[in-house]
Amino acid sequence: MTAYLLRRTGQALVVVFGVMVLTFVMIHLVPGSAARASLGTRATAERIALFNAANGLDRPLAAQFVSFVQQAAEGNFGTSYSLHQPVSTLIAQRLPRDGVLLGLSTLLALSVALPMGIFQAVRRGRVADHVLTVVSFVLYSMPDFFFALLLVAVFSVQLHLLPSQAPQAESVAGILADPRALVLPVVTLTLVSVAGFSRYMRSSAIGTLAQEYVQVARSKGLPERLVLRRHVLRNSLLPVVTVLGLSAPTVVAGAVIAESVFNYPGMGLLFFQAATSKDYPVMLGSTLVVGVATVIGSLLADIAYSLLDPRIRYVDA
Amino acid sequence: MPPLLEVRNLTTHIRTRRGTVRAVDDVSFTLEAGETLGLVGESGCGKSMTGLSLMGLLPPGGAMVGDSSVALDGRELVGLPERDLRRVRGNDIAMVFQDPMTSLDPTKTIGHQVAEGVLLHRGCSRAEAADRAAEVLGLVGLPHPRERLKDYPHQLSGGLRQRVLIAMALANEPRVLIADEPTTALDVTIQAQILALLADLRARLGMAMILITHDMGVTAGHTDRVNVMYAGRIAESTGTDRLFHGMRHPYTQSLLASVPRLDQDPGKELPTIPGMPPDLTDPPGGCRFAGRCRYATDRCRTDEPELTGSDQHRYACWHPTDGPLPPSATAAVPRATEAAAPAVHDRPLLEARGLVREFPVRGARIPGRGRRVVHALSGVSLELAPGETFGLVGESGCGKTTLGRLLVGLDRPDTGTVTLDGTDLGLLRGRELRRRRRDLQMMFQDPFSSLDPRMRVGGILREPLQIQGIGTAREQKARVAELLAEVGLPERGAELYPHEFSGGQRQRIGLARALALTPKLIVADEPVSALDVSVRAQVLNLMNRLQASHGLSYIVISHDLAVVRYLADRIGVMYLGRMVEVGSADDIHLRAAHPYTAGLLKAVPVPDPQLERAKLGTGISGELPSPVDPPSGCRFRTRCPLARERCADEEPALRLFGAGHTAACHFPLQQPLPDTPAKAATDASA
Repeated sequence: MTAYLLRRTGQALVVVFGVMVLTFVMIHLVPGSAARASLGTRATAERIALFNAANGLDRPLAAQFVSFVQQAAEGNFGTSYSLHQPVSTLIAQRLPRDGVLLGLSTLLALSVALPMGIFQAVRRGRVADHVLTVVSFVLYSMPDFFFALLLVAVFSVQLHLLPSQAPQAESVAGILADPRALVLPVVTLTLVSVAGFSRYMRSSAIGTLAQEYVQVARSKGLPERLVLRRHVLRNSLLPVVTVLGLSAPTVVAGAVIAESVFNYPGMGLLFFQAATSKDYPVMLGSTLVVGVATVIGSLLADIAYSLLDPRIRYVDA
Repeated sequence: MPPLLEVRNLTTHIRTRRGTVRAVDDVSFTLEAGETLGLVGESGCGKSMTGLSLMGLLPPGGAMVGDSSVALDGRELVGLPERDLRRVRGNDIAMVFQDPMTSLDPTKTIGHQVAEGVLLHRGCSRAEAADRAAEVLGLVGLPHPRERLKDYPHQLSGGLRQRVLIAMALANEPRVLIADEPTTALDVTIQAQILALLADLRARLGMAMILITHDMGVTAGHTDRVNVMYAGRIAESTGTDRLFHGMRHPYTQSLLASVPRLDQDPGKELPTIPGMPPDLTDPPGGCRFAGRCRYATDRCRTDEPELTGSDQHRYACWHPTDGPLPPSATAAVPRATEAAAPAVHDRPLLEARGLVREFPVRGARIPGRGRRVVHALSGVSLELAPGETFGLVGESGCGKTTLGRLLVGLDRPDTGTVTLDGTDLGLLRGRELRRRRRDLQMMFQDPFSSLDPRMRVGGILREPLQIQGIGTAREQKARVAELLAEVGLPERGAELYPHEFSGGQRQRIGLARALALTPKLIVADEPVSALDVSVRAQVLNLMNRLQASHGLSYIVISHDLAVVRYLADRIGVMYLGRMVEVGSADDIHLRAAHPYTAGLLKAVPVPDPQLERAKLGTGISGELPSPVDPPSGCRFRTRCPLARERCADEEPALRLFGAGHTAACHFPLQQPLPDTPAKAATDASA
């Protein structure tokens, strides 16, 4: 297991480096310049040259890349051109917000979707299954901004039950201290992702239920509840884990739309603004964060896989 | 005193979209402690569904209807609330399922899975349940049970997994054990071991057992009484001896006659049962077997026969027969004149020399031990004359499928050569190789997965012609019609999809596809093992007929020695990547020289109760060693009753035991011809 982890971590580092190279190259290939974007279209050539010199943009690309990597290794991603704050500070401010929002909604979505998937699989082809399938598809196809606005209109504007703004605190503790304000954004994102997870769980559980070992478990005299919990749940989780691992980056990439509707500036908005204003350091920094999260996500999925399925655990033994 | 288990008027219906399937129809029988009752019949006859009804484990939509009654020790089980039924299930009545590979939860340790039922029914502590698990695992012959409690199913072989499944069923000392095809998925050698284990446990624990099987040999050796089922009903019910020697129902008669036996006359066609069992959503009036019965009259088609006769022997038939079908009842197998004298050919059609094939083991390398490989084939040679049938037998994992793939050029040997008509296949590449493939075709085991489900049968049969660019579209279509006619399928079959055909018909399509390019050789890998016995006989007869009309050569790979014996002129016995004995069908069956061949033959269940019970021992003990680390010297020595020191030190060479009969053994069962080195032996077999 240790050897496996070491090897996978080594592979992960290579991938992260690849991500750095690619984002760096692509950002510099995009037409337009940071100086123009930052100083405005009427900036003089002199001022542009000054800006470029101050930010090291007049140096060769390779040299720029080397210093980017050196600084990144020290946790320094430079200073934002437009917000005039260190990128690391910006990310440190924004990341926990998304961590809370998307982490909570993913957990919530799973706790609804897994039982729902199994329930549908057990009731396959019956009325309850059909109803939930329709609900899933409606949720899945509805754009999240529409949802968010709908919820705000009903619960904040009409009923005055819940605030329409997400918590504005900057620390995790501060955000969690205002749970009422979290309800609407978390519910919005949960509803959107429940559908996907539950479809995966449903089809996977249908496959598991057809397995002979499920019939064997019943033949021991186990009540159906225990058959589902002990033998169906774990065996059905494997495909869901893959999807979950792939969705890890969305937790740090943020949700631009939910963030803007609920006035909750997170990574999504940060990146969006950086992209529109050619804020290289911020773009590079947040792309790197997402890249690292992707790699960590699939690493975690692989580890979860090997914990769930002993057949995978022993291949490497 | 009431019987241990009394089943009366058991009628099980399953509601499906296509209508209500009358899976079990008015079945009654009793079972006493210590007795084994066989439930016998072809797939879909209701035997498994009877077992599941007794367990109360019917599929969705299934229910026992009418005045169905299942009484255990006088206590009625039908209609019992689920709570109470659960106390019976796994405790008083337990079940062993067919496939050990899919019947264990891959994510739980075997200790956990065995202890689970103990914990549930005995209300004991976890430690006590684990103790009991170790105890029953020891009882079923798992070596070092206590250390293996933490093993996962994938770490065990198929035979050991089946033992674990039996342990699970026995953990609470049930009074009735239902074994549903417990050995169908296993090799004959392991099958013999598991059946002996079940018989021993039944005697020791005083259980009653219901043995559900389609295998008449297994039935003969391991049951006291038999219910023959057909289309959801009991056709005949009597003691095992009487069933085999004095059956009254024509279905029983045909069923038994269509099983190829080791002493079958290969010169006669196998008796078959025409047609297919009726659709149970709408069973025909009258006798359900009437449509396929050679003795049927108008009365059979209108009036349904009741189960009549004495208490010892009951049967449902208007025109009962008396005893087995005489062996002379069928036509002679057609023989091509060419095949009658294979010795005339001075050059073999196919020649394989010293084939070696190794596959790397997946996963990380262990430092210092180098690359680990599976030794699938370690130096195998064989020759095949035009028009000849060569049978390959051996346990799963012995390399017979790998050899088949090498012979048709689907895979290449690491060393060694395959020569077809004087051309070395290993030297052919690209276009030339593709052209050569016309001569070499393959027929596969599974009729369900070997045909593309989204292609029409016409397309499937035309594809080889299109790839090889043979003929115009019109000619190809004509050829398709011709092929369908040859394998006995209607011409309109070309427009249908594979799922619209039964298993036997699909296997005919597989054969037609192999024939499309008029090959010289067809390698048939387990061509009938997925089929029911009555259909099996039809396909075997067809293969014989086509061989005669096309002058084909066959290589038939099968674990079923009776099938190979019936089809093959010569037989090769493989063990762990080596050919241990080659000879004519008679050499192998009557004059086996290698102890492995003899053990393998002994393990084959014979459909004759007296012969089967007279057998001592189970043939071959233990399991096939890992092909990653094969034993030194003679690879069979670890399981051989005759093994001595020399067998570990020195690899036995092939020696000659008669014309074309060679075996590789230091202590053979027959006297070898004097002084025949290996080279001379292989040359002589040509």
